Amino acid sequence: MYKRLIAVLAGFISSILLSFFVSSASAEEVRSMKLWAREQAAGPAPHTAALIIAQTLNELGLDITVNAVPWPQMADQVWYKRLDEDTWDLTMWQMVSRPERSDPDEFTYNLFHSSTAEKGYNFIGYVDPAFDALAEKQRVTMDPAARKEIIDQAQQHLADAAANAYLVHPLLNFAYDNSQFKDGSAVEQAGLGIKNIWTYLNIEPINGNKDLVAQSLDEIQAINPFFISGGTDSWITEIIWDRLLRIGPDGTPQPWAAESFNWVDEQTIDVTLRSGMSWHDGKPVTVDDVIFSFEAPMNAEIVPMYSPFVKNIESMESKGNNVVRFNLKSSNAAFLTSSLAKINLVPKHYYGPILEALDGTGNNAETIIEEKRIGSGPLKFIDWRQREQVILERNSDHFNPPKIERWIMKEIPNVEASLGQFRKGEVNFLTDYKGDPSVLANIVQEDGDITLVKSIDVGFQYMAMNHRRAPFDDVNFRRAVSLAIDRDVMVNAAWAGNAVKAGSHVSPALSYYHKDGITEYDTGVDLAKKILADAGYTVKNGRLHYPEGVVEKH
Amino acid sequence: MFDFWSIIRRFLYMIFVLWIVATIIFFMFRLMPGSPLTAFIGTTFTDEQHDLLVKRFGLDKSLFEQYSLFLVNTLKGDFGLSFTYNKPVIDMIIQALPNSIILTLFSLIIAYIFGVIAGAYLAWKRDTLVEGISIPIVLTTRSAPEFWLGMIALAFFSFQLDIFPSGGTSAAGVIYETTLSKLTSLHFYYHLILPSLVLALYLQGLPLLLMRSNMLEVMQEDFVTMSKMKGLSSWRIVIYHAARTALLPVATAFTLGVGFAFGGNVVIETVFSWPGLGRLLVFAVSSSDYPLAQGAFIFLTAILILMNFLADLMYLFLDPRVSYKTKN
Repeated sequence: MYKRLIAVLAGFISSILLSFFVSSASAEEVRSMKLWAREQAAGPAPHTAALIIAQTLNELGLDITVNAVPWPQMADQVWYKRLDEDTWDLTMWQMVSRPERSDPDEFTYNLFHSSTAEKGYNFIGYVDPAFDALAEKQRVTMDPAARKEIIDQAQQHLADAAANAYLVHPLLNFAYDNSQFKDGSAVEQAGLGIKNIWTYLNIEPINGNKDLVAQSLDEIQAINPFFISGGTDSWITEIIWDRLLRIGPDGTPQPWAAESFNWVDEQTIDVTLRSGMSWHDGKPVTVDDVIFSFEAPMNAEIVPMYSPFVKNIESMESKGNNVVRFNLKSSNAAFLTSSLAKINLVPKHYYGPILEALDGTGNNAETIIEEKRIGSGPLKFIDWRQREQVILERNSDHFNPPKIERWIMKEIPNVEASLGQFRKGEVNFLTDYKGDPSVLANIVQEDGDITLVKSIDVGFQYMAMNHRRAPFDDVNFRRAVSLAIDRDVMVNAAWAGNAVKAGSHVSPALSYYHKDGITEYDTGVDLAKKILADAGYTVKNGRLHYPEGVVEKH
Repeated sequence: MFDFWSIIRRFLYMIFVLWIVATIIFFMFRLMPGSPLTAFIGTTFTDEQHDLLVKRFGLDKSLFEQYSLFLVNTLKGDFGLSFTYNKPVIDMIIQALPNSIILTLFSLIIAYIFGVIAGAYLAWKRDTLVEGISIPIVLTTRSAPEFWLGMIALAFFSFQLDIFPSGGTSAAGVIYETTLSKLTSLHFYYHLILPSLVLALYLQGLPLLLMRSNMLEVMQEDFVTMSKMKGLSSWRIVIYHAARTALLPVATAFTLGVGFAFGGNVVIETVFSWPGLGRLLVFAVSSSDYPLAQGAFIFLTAILILMNFLADLMYLFLDPRVSYKTKN
């Protein structure tokens, strides 16, 4: 009897002991992970960066391999399958420069606000009510100084949360032939470099040259004022079609087709249209045309891609004397940049009937067969041979006509051929160079008649982490991963010196909103190891283990 | 020699093959990883826009539904709208086609004229120094990567010597009013020379080697010995007797080559910025533009099958031993 009781008791105690022992020894190993990246041909620098990062992180006891795949495959997994059970852990990602990104709102809100986590651009799944409040507040703060304060806080908040591992802001390389253009007559635009409308307007042809011949590696898909198609396409649409405001060389919106604008209150703005403007077919630009241009995208079935930019407009009315009043649904500091400087002005007499005819056909304005392209911009459309070249011509009736006679864009899919044509003078403005920057620098040295201008990109290159999954749900782990990466190595080894270190989503190119000192931080594997050790992570048999009691699947 | 029903039967086979190919292409593109929607991802891309796209592309329908719609539309000759360009697929193909056909046909003709003559000549020069030097050269140009040959030609003839233009079908700023005015312009042919010579250099290996080996075989035949015994000149034997017989397989290769010409040539088109169908195809596949990729590949398959059929028919005339008569 006793024996039996003791046996039962002993069994009971030992099982308790055993379970305690097992649990104490069961700190779970951090799983092997993939770092998604695009194939090398799509961008040698980020690919090299991924290889270096994987190697660095493996020194922390992680097991990371680089998974290089084409964009459609990578984006499908990272973007569309973000909520799946077994999705992605780490991915290389980039934001590219666009004029409207000169306002910090687009990145601050769309990349990190929790409302965009499920389907929008917050694919990393960063959810923080305190940050949401900042993102919302900067949007409705109209006073620039007060807004700058909030944007600074937002940058610091994201840095403390190690929301992303920012790597670099690349340098944009553009060059022109100074035997065909006056040296120094190109205009640098903050975050965009010298490839911008201000250069096209200002650049001075010399030595009998009349044309600006640019080049694009990518194919032009459409030249349509209602269709945001390929990247190159927007370089063309923005000079054929005017906007009420344009982003100036300093990155802030300034009056363009609008003579002036005036905030009546925080949700009402009066815009005065410049008088005496005419369309490329000779007819005058009217307030009716302006209202039509903003009303068309309100129908998302017909003009889907521009519809987000007019969403905040409640109504518009003509107030006489060329004044249009915009009544907004809510106050928005970025409205000037994201709406007034974004929507193409189009003639109602030409596009009105075309859009009407689309009603009920199931087709939208992107399917228009463009027989004519009528805008009011400083250059007018002349000819386009697909996969070859686009020809635009000076609009001498414009209030700010360019000095060049024609603007020609050659589609050259091959980098070496583009460079060859540039050296030969067949192309006189290198607008799209994705090759090795040192090759370009050598050519500048050899040829002696090339002006190369490097500018800091408003966009950035980074490594994103999936906040939805352990271990990336732990801020300490994210910090360790981000700080392990030596940014000087990124700049010098991966980007061959053709970049600057990044520490936030607001580029130093936007000097007003960029938070001073945010790119200054210590990095290194030892620092990362210390952060991990302090947070309770351990290394056993060369592999990193979670702190006690933390399990991967909840 | 002709049998109406056997021609009809062959025609039905062609339709059957086309259907199989269309089905494979349809499922292949959809099973490939990646989605056509990834091209639209952006910071301002909304749910509403996403749903509209899914509906417009028909991706909300089941795969089977999509397939049956695709078959019905293809039968009607409607390949749909390209996802990325938003233009009818057929228009895009027709627009790119003339440039591709001209480039490839031009090169094919140069390559085959040269290949046939040189092949016959080298067969005649069997076991001489000429052969010893020529064959390795032919094999080298045949195996050298086209893009490499293209870049070398470009660097040398265009960028160094400035004899030929460096790409495209015209100089910057030149406008061709119509396709016809382009095809009748000397400026256009000046731009055609370099790419077509490089392509011809790559293409000449096949007809040359084919012609040479056929000739060598034919030269052993009795009728050649017979001709020699009749005392005909060797020139006459080569041209009128041996070459005619040896040409048969070369003619087949040529017709098939013409078929492939419709597909353009991605490498040459990219190196020389030539606006052909090859670049369109690559773009369609890499951006998962299903309608454009499907339309273009089905179109190409149809052309190839047709050229194959023509090659068979041609044999009737070139080779009396072949017949389409059903045996009773």
